[in-house]
Amino acid sequence: MHDTRDPAELLAAAAGGDQQAWDQLVFRFGPRMWAVARSCGLGDSDAADVVQGAWLRLLEHLHAIREPAAVGAWLATTTRREALQLLRKPPHSPAAEPPAAPDPASAVLEADGNRLLWQTVSTLHEPCRTLLRLVATDLGSRQMAQRLGVPIGSVGPTRARCLEKLRTLISLQETVQ
Amino acid sequence: MINDEYFLAALRLAAGSDPIPGHVSAAARDLFRLRVPSAVTAVPAECAATRGVRGAEGPQMVRFVAAGLTFDLEVTVGDGLIDVAGQVCPAPVDGTLVEVRTPHLTLSRRLAHGGHFAVTGLPPGWLSVVCHRPGHAPIQTRWVRIRP
Repeated sequence: MHDTRDPAELLAAAAGGDQQAWDQLVFRFGPRMWAVARSCGLGDSDAADVVQGAWLRLLEHLHAIREPAAVGAWLATTTRREALQLLRKPPHSPAAEPPAAPDPASAVLEADGNRLLWQTVSTLHEPCRTLLRLVATDLGSRQMAQRLGVPIGSVGPTRARCLEKLRTLISLQETVQ
Repeated sequence: MINDEYFLAALRLAAGSDPIPGHVSAAARDLFRLRVPSAVTAVPAECAATRGVRGAEGPQMVRFVAAGLTFDLEVTVGDGLIDVAGQVCPAPVDGTLVEVRTPHLTLSRRLAHGGHFAVTGLPPGWLSVVCHRPGHAPIQTRWVRIRP
């Protein structure tokens, strides 16, 4: 699906009624929204619900996005908010408040951020290097424990430690750049 | 501060092991037909009946307000479907039309005396109400998720 327009142009076109521009936004940013919803721990059905909700929020705010160039980050942030809302609220609940601005942390989802992330993961020592690769393949804690040869109870704390290391390294690299 | 969910999402994206299902993308593309040009968005507002006094099993009251108009919606979920009884205040003029919308189904009603309307048998999920008054911009409630 080839469209050379940048996100701000696509957003403006969609706000003017251009279905193709909307489709292109879905094509570009849908995969990361799905990944965010699934990373919040949602199953397929709830993740689909949350992604749909985030698109509906954009539909409501087509003319009101403060940083049109960052609409991808806004969508990722909105997806995370809707996911967290679904996880903590009872079935009938008012909608999550749409974000005024994207979470700065969502920048890690940009294409360059992904490459940097994997380069950094490959520099980590074991078990972090393997564990973070397994996390990315959606392996359950029990299978992950078997693959790593560690007790199942240590998977969660080890994962948190590894993510903390990764976060530190990424922050250092961003500081250097 | 980097949130773990974004980190994990970036790892998952790069791994490519859990791509977005085709039907999720198709549903997102299809939502564009629900765009209401020039609509004013009514936002949730607190009212006494929305503070959870009815319990999780009973009807849920939801209030939205915009441009001097209040939408009070009583949402009931039964047998996996949603019924909505609502009132628009102050009661709009003759010829006012209300649409109760979901991504899969839209039902239209002429407002009855006193601004009342009702629809039944909607699928669970996202829901919004649009009020079309002659001579005014449409007013659309924010989308809310209704689940059994």
